[in-house]
Amino acid sequence: MNPLLTHSEAVTRRYFLGQCTGVSLGAMALEGLLQNAAASEPERNAVGGLTGLPHFAAKAKRVIFLTQSGGPSQIELFDEKPDLAKWAGKELPDSVRQGQRLTAMTANQKQLILPSRTQFRRHGQSGASVGEWLPHLGKVADDICIIKSMHTEQINHAPAMTFLLTGHQLPGRPSVGGWASYGLGSTNRNLPDYIVLISKMQRPSDQPLYDHYWGNGFLPSRYQGVKLRNSKEPVLYLQDPEGLPRELRRGMLDGLKDLNQMRQNETGDPEIGTRIRQYEMAYRMQTSVPELTDLSDEPEETFELYGADSRRPGSYAANCILARRLAERGVRFIQLFHPDWDHHSRLTSWCTARCRDTDQPSAALIQDLKRRGMLEDTLVVWGGEFGRGVAGQGDWQSPEAGRDHHPRCFTMWMAGAGIKPGLTYGRTDDFSYNVVENGVHVHDLQATILQQLGIDHERLTYRFQGRDFRLTDVHGKVVKGILS
Amino acid sequence: MATQLTGLAVLTLLTATGLAAPPVHFGRDVLPILSDKCFYCHGPDESHRKADRRLDTREGALAIKDGVAAIVPGKPDQSDLFSRILSHDAEEVMPPPKSNKTLTPAEIDILKRWIADGAPWGKHWAFEKPERTALPAGSKGQPHPIDAFVQDRLRREKLEPSPEAPRHTLLRRLAFDLTGLPPSQEEARRFMADTAPGAADRLVDRLLESPHYGERMAMWWLDGARYSDTDGYQGDDVRENWPWRDWVIDAFNSNKPFDQFTIEQFAGDLLPGATPEQKLATCFHRNHMTNGEGGRDPEESRIDYVIDRVNTVGTLWMGLTLGCTQCHSHKFDPIAHVDYYRLSAFFNSIDETGAAGKGAKPFLEYQSSRGKAPLEQARALLTQRAGEEKAARLKADAPFEQWLEARIPEVKKGFKAWQPLLGALESSEGTELNQAKDGVIQAQGPNPSQDDYRLTAQTSLPRITGIKLEVTPAPDGSVGRSATGHFILTDVKLQVRRPDTAQVREIAIRGAVADYSADPKKNKGYGDVKGLLDDDPRNGWASVGADPKQARTALFALAEPLILAKGEELIFEMRQRSTLGDANIARFRVLATDQAGPATTRIELAPLEELAAQSVADPAGVEPALRARLFEQFLADHPPYLVAKTAWERANRQFKEMQRGNEKLKVMVLAEKKVPRQTHVLVRGLWDKKGEKVQPGILPAIAPWTEGEETTRLGLARWIVSRDNPLTARVMVNHLWQFFFGAGLVRTPEDFGLQGQQPTHPELLDWLACELMEHGWDIKHVIRLITTSATYRQSSHASEALLAKDPSNRFLARGARFRLPSWMLRDAALAESGLLNSTLGGPPIRPYQPEGVWEEIFMGRLRYEPSEGALQYRRTVYAFWRRSAAPTFLFDAAQRRVCEVQSQRTNTPLQALTLLNDETYLEASRALAGAALKHAPNDTDAALTEIYRRVLFRAPSELELGVLRRTLAEARTHYRQDPQAARQFVAHGQDRALPLNKAEEVAAYMLTASLVLNLDEAITHE
Repeated sequence: MNPLLTHSEAVTRRYFLGQCTGVSLGAMALEGLLQNAAASEPERNAVGGLTGLPHFAAKAKRVIFLTQSGGPSQIELFDEKPDLAKWAGKELPDSVRQGQRLTAMTANQKQLILPSRTQFRRHGQSGASVGEWLPHLGKVADDICIIKSMHTEQINHAPAMTFLLTGHQLPGRPSVGGWASYGLGSTNRNLPDYIVLISKMQRPSDQPLYDHYWGNGFLPSRYQGVKLRNSKEPVLYLQDPEGLPRELRRGMLDGLKDLNQMRQNETGDPEIGTRIRQYEMAYRMQTSVPELTDLSDEPEETFELYGADSRRPGSYAANCILARRLAERGVRFIQLFHPDWDHHSRLTSWCTARCRDTDQPSAALIQDLKRRGMLEDTLVVWGGEFGRGVAGQGDWQSPEAGRDHHPRCFTMWMAGAGIKPGLTYGRTDDFSYNVVENGVHVHDLQATILQQLGIDHERLTYRFQGRDFRLTDVHGKVVKGILS
Repeated sequence: MATQLTGLAVLTLLTATGLAAPPVHFGRDVLPILSDKCFYCHGPDESHRKADRRLDTREGALAIKDGVAAIVPGKPDQSDLFSRILSHDAEEVMPPPKSNKTLTPAEIDILKRWIADGAPWGKHWAFEKPERTALPAGSKGQPHPIDAFVQDRLRREKLEPSPEAPRHTLLRRLAFDLTGLPPSQEEARRFMADTAPGAADRLVDRLLESPHYGERMAMWWLDGARYSDTDGYQGDDVRENWPWRDWVIDAFNSNKPFDQFTIEQFAGDLLPGATPEQKLATCFHRNHMTNGEGGRDPEESRIDYVIDRVNTVGTLWMGLTLGCTQCHSHKFDPIAHVDYYRLSAFFNSIDETGAAGKGAKPFLEYQSSRGKAPLEQARALLTQRAGEEKAARLKADAPFEQWLEARIPEVKKGFKAWQPLLGALESSEGTELNQAKDGVIQAQGPNPSQDDYRLTAQTSLPRITGIKLEVTPAPDGSVGRSATGHFILTDVKLQVRRPDTAQVREIAIRGAVADYSADPKKNKGYGDVKGLLDDDPRNGWASVGADPKQARTALFALAEPLILAKGEELIFEMRQRSTLGDANIARFRVLATDQAGPATTRIELAPLEELAAQSVADPAGVEPALRARLFEQFLADHPPYLVAKTAWERANRQFKEMQRGNEKLKVMVLAEKKVPRQTHVLVRGLWDKKGEKVQPGILPAIAPWTEGEETTRLGLARWIVSRDNPLTARVMVNHLWQFFFGAGLVRTPEDFGLQGQQPTHPELLDWLACELMEHGWDIKHVIRLITTSATYRQSSHASEALLAKDPSNRFLARGARFRLPSWMLRDAALAESGLLNSTLGGPPIRPYQPEGVWEEIFMGRLRYEPSEGALQYRRTVYAFWRRSAAPTFLFDAAQRRVCEVQSQRTNTPLQALTLLNDETYLEASRALAGAALKHAPNDTDAALTEIYRRVLFRAPSELELGVLRRTLAEARTHYRQDPQAARQFVAHGQDRALPLNKAEEVAAYMLTASLVLNLDEAITHE
C-alpha cells in the first residue's frame, strides 16, 4: 500500500457511514452529499440508496418511460368510440363538457364533434382495440396494459408535463427518475442511474423539452437525469480533447491522484478522497458510454425488428435500442422523449407521421425485452402529458382540422414488471371526454411506478423548506387493478 | 429577554458538559418537536386541522374538548397529549402510524419535563426581535466580537480554535470571498511583501474597494432574484434586462445601504422624483419566468407572476416558506392563507397583462452607458477580421489563376457538373419505381395517397457538394400522379450507409432552391422548397399554381462537402406525406455534383459548364461576369479564404449585437395600473377560484404595520427593513455568513420558520443582525467584521479528532474548506492564466459551450455562438443565461427559475469531465503553459513552479514537484514522437498566433497546467 494513503484512507473510512470503496455513482454521490452541511442527510446503504429501501420486494429493477410529448390523441389511437360518427359536426353537449376549461386557442370557437379519423382493430387474445395508425403495437397487445382512464389537472404543455413527471405543475420538484435513484441508489459502476434520450427531429420546435422535466428539483444535483446526446459526445464534456491520447490522460490523472492524496494527508479533508474517485469514474465513463452508444455490435436483425428508422442515430427507434442496452447494463431509470405530438391541425398527416416514428420501435422494445427475459423486471410506460379533445379545432370537416388539449381523459399503456398483460383498464364516456370507470390520476400513476420499484410513495420523502415533500404530494393511490 | 438568553446559555452549557437534565426552553426545545410532529394536523392551518385540536397556541393546547385537555400544566399524567404519545394502541397513539412520524425517548422526555414545568409558552426564536447580548464573559482584553461568541462556544464544547491559516491561503481565501477571483499577481506580491501587523486587514480594505467586489455580490443576488436573459417558457424569448444586473453590481460597489437597496427594488418608481436608475431597480420583481404558451390564459400567467414575487420576497428577505400558504394556511408557521393574499395585493396592480416576450409591459426605455467598452472590443475584432478577409481574398488571386488555367484544357471536351445517381429503389407504400439508364425514374402501379421514395446509390464522385432533383412530366404529360397532375413533396433526407454496419448517418443540407415554388399561403402551406428540410409534413415543395406539364428542378446544397468512404452508399429519401394526399411525383431524376459554390445554389449552368460552352483558350479570354462566378466557386472551395470569411461574418454578427447594447433598451420594470385591481384570496391557490376580497397587508405575526404608512409597495419595503422586522437583518447576515464559511449560522437559509434549523450561534446571529441595522444597513461593514475575525482566519485543516467531533464544522473550530462555486472556477481559470477581460457591465456574452446544446432543446431553432475576441474572456456574471438551457459549464448552480438561496455542493464525475475537457479550461491551460515558458524558457522546475504559483499562490513541495516533472516528462516524450498530436492539442481556444515550432513543449506544459487547474486545492476554498 502506498504509505501516503494510510492516514487519509483511515479518516475516510471512519468518517463515512459505511464502506465506500464500492465506487457506484450512488455511493459516491452520498459522499458528495455529506459536504452539503445544510442538509441533515438520512442514512444510506451500500449502493447509496436510503436505508430501509426498497420498502418491499421490487417487481421492477428498472423503468423505461417512453414519453410522448405534446399530447397524443387517444381518440385516434386507443379510445374507440364508434357511436361518435352520429355526432359528427354536432355541438358537444354541455352535460358532457361540464364547464371544462378550454385553452385560449379554442375558447372562442364552437365545440363541434370530430369523430375519430381512423378505424380500430382488435388484437390478440385480449381483443384490445388499437387504432390502425399503430399496426405494430397491435402485435404486442397481449403484453401490455392499456389505461384509458388517465386524467390530469393541467391543460397546457409545460405545466402538464411538469406535473406528470414531478407531481407539481411548476418547475422546482424532482422528476420521478430522480426520486427513484435518490431512494434506491445505484447498482451500476460505470454509468449514471437516470438517463434521458431525446429523439432527434429536424423540425424546429418552439415547445422545448425543458431540462427540468428530468431535473433534480430540490434534491442534490446528482439526481438530475443525464442526457445522452446524439453526437460524437453523448455526455457533455465526455470526450478528451483532440491531441490528447488515452495513455497521456491516464498519466495526467495518475499525477492528479497523487497530488490530491498528498493534499488529503495535509488537510485531513475526506472530501478529497471522494473527488479522487469521481475523477476515476469519469475516466471509466469515457469508455463505458461510447461502448454503450455504439450500435455496431448489434446484429442486422435488431435493426429489422426496430424498423428502418433505427439505423438513423438519434431517432426514436435508435433510442429504443439504446434503452434496451441501458437496461441490460443495469441503469435504473431510462426516459425517452419523443416530441411533436401536439396536433392542433392536420391530424391525419401530422399524427400519422409521429405514429410512424414510434409505433414499430415501441412494439419492438416490448418484444425484444420479452425474448431476453427482461420484460418481467422492466417496467415500460408509454404516454404523454394529456390527451386531445373530441371537438375539432378549426373546420372539423376539413383535413386541416386538429384537436385541442384535453386533460380529463387520456390513454397510456404500461407493460412488464408485475403489470397485468393484455388488460384494458378504465373507461371513458361516449365522447372520450370524461372518465366513467377506474380513473387513474397522474399521482396514481406515479404511486404505481414507485410501487413496482419497491417504494411506498408515501414513505419516500425529502425535507425541503421545512416540509417533507414526496413525488405524489399528498395524493396518489397505487392502481391495484392493473397489478398481477 | 435578557434573562431568557442567560437561561439559554446555561442550558447549552449544561448540555455540553453533560450535567443533570437542564431546564426545558419552549422555543428552543419544545416548539421544534410540536412543529415537526404535531402541527401538520394540529397547527395553524384550519382547513387541515384534525379533531378541532390546535397545539400551536397555548389556548388551543389547554382547551378542554370532550372533557380532556391536550395539556394540563404541571401534570403530564393528566395531559391527553402525553398519554397519547405513550399509547400502544394504534388507534390512539400520536403521531398516528400513517404519518410516518415517531417521537424519540429524548423528545418524549422534553415534553414531559416541559409540561411538568407548567408548560410555559413563547414565540419561535426567529419571530422575536433580535437583541444584542453582552459579549460572553471569559474573553480576555477587547476581543473581536465574533471571536468572543465563537470561542465561548468552543470552550463549552471543549474544543480549541485552529491556528491562523498560512498567508498564501489567507490571501487566496480573502480574494475569492470578496471578489470571486483569485488575487491578481500584483496583489499577491503586495500582500506577501507587507509583513507589518494588520496586513490582512489592509488586504480586506483593498479588496472591498475592488469593482470585482460588486460582481461577486451580484452573482449571489442574481441567483436569488432568478435573473435570466430569457423568459423561460415556450419560445423562451430574449429579454434586455441586463442594465438591471449592472445596477446591482453598482449598488454593491457603492455600498448602497441594504434598506435603500431594498426600497428601490420594491418601489423605486414610487419614490418622489424617481430617477431612471431607481425605476430600473424595480426590474427585480420582473425577473420571474414568463409564459407565452399559446393555450394559456394570460390572466393565469399574470397570477403566477404575482405569486412568484410574494414567494421570492419570503425566501430572499425573510427566510419564510410563503409558497406553502398559497393554497392553505401555513402548516407550521403562524401565517394564514389570507395573509398571503394580502401580501400579494401589493404586487397585484402592476400594469402588466400576463404576456411574455415583447408584450411583457411595463417597460422602461433605458440606455446603458456600459455598452461602450464591449462595443469597442467587438469593433476591434471586426476591424481585424475584415482586414483578414480582404487579405485572404487578395491572396486567393494567384492560386485562382492557376486553378483556372488548369480547368480550361480540362473542360475543352465539354463538362457536366451533375451525374445522375443510379441504384436501388424502394417505396414505402408499394409504388412501382423503375429507373432507366439515364437515371430517370418512373413511378407506376399503385398510387397510394402518401408515399416515401428511397433511392440507394453509389457514386464515383470524389466528393459530393450538392444534390439536384429533376421532376419531369410523365409520358402521359404531368409531373404528379394526382388528379390535377401536380405533386407535393413534404421532406427530403440524405443519408449515408456504411457497408460494415447497419447504421446510417444523416447528412445535413444547408439550403434548397427551386426554379418554381407555389405560394404556400394559397396552397395550405405547401409550396416553398425550403419546407423540404424541416421534417414537417405540413409544408413542402409543390408544383400547384402553374402548368403541371412543366418540368421542375430543385437544388440542395450540403452543409459540408461529403466524401464517401469505399463502399459507402448514398440514400436519398423523398417523403410525400402531405395532408392533402394524392400528390406523388410521377417521374424524376436525382443527380449529384462535386462543384462548390454557385453550382449548388443557383439554377443555371454551373460556372465550369459555362466555361466549357464558351471554349476559351486561356484565362485572359474569360469574360468578366463568368470570371467573377468562377472566382466565387474557387473561393467557396478555398479553405484559407473560407476560414477568414466565416470568422469575419461571426465578428460582424457580434458587433451588431453589441451595437444593440448601446441603443435604448426595453427593460421590464414595475409601474402601477391607473385603476388598481381588486385582490382576492384564491381558493386552494387556483387562479380562477376567487374567494373573499382583501386589501394590501403584511404578516401580522412577523411585525406590526406602522400606523400611517402608505399601503403601497413603498410601505411594504419599509416594513421589510424596519427595525421591528425580526427576520430581514438576521436572514441577510446569514446569507453573508454563507459566503465565508460555506454554510450559514442557520443552515437552512431559505427557512427561518419553525421547521428550519436552529442557529448554531444564536447570540452571534442576533448580534450581527443588530450590527447591520444599527450601522445603517452597511453590508461592507458586516463583511469587514467577519473577515477580520480570528474565527474566519483559522486554518481549514482538520485533525481526525476534530473531524470526528464536528464533521460539518458547526462549532467553527477550523476555517471552512469547500469546493468553490463553478462560476468562480471559470473566472479563476481566466484570471490565473492571464486571459481575463475585466470590463465591467454591458450586454451578455457567451462563454464556450459544446456544440448543439441549444439546437437539441429547440430542435434546431436556436443556435449558440460563443463570443469571440476579448469578449469571450469576460466574467461569468455576464454569461448569457437561457433558462431552458442554462450554461453547461456551470454545475451545482442555481437554476434561476425561482428564487434560490441555498447553494448546492455535490461531487460528481460529470463535474470532473467539465473541468478536464471544457474549452475554457483547455485554453486557460494553454495560456498558463505559455506564461510558464515565457517566465522560464529553459528551466523546467522554474516553469512548473510558476504554474503552481499562479494557481495556488505557493511553490510546490519537492514531492509535488516530482509528480509535476513526471507528468511533464511523459507528455514531452509523447509529443516529441507525435508533433501532430501536439499541434492539435494546443489548437484550443482562439489564439492563432502560437509559436507552433514549439508546439510539443507547449502541449506538454499545457497538460501539466490542466492537471494543476484540476487539483482539489485549486478548486477549493481553503
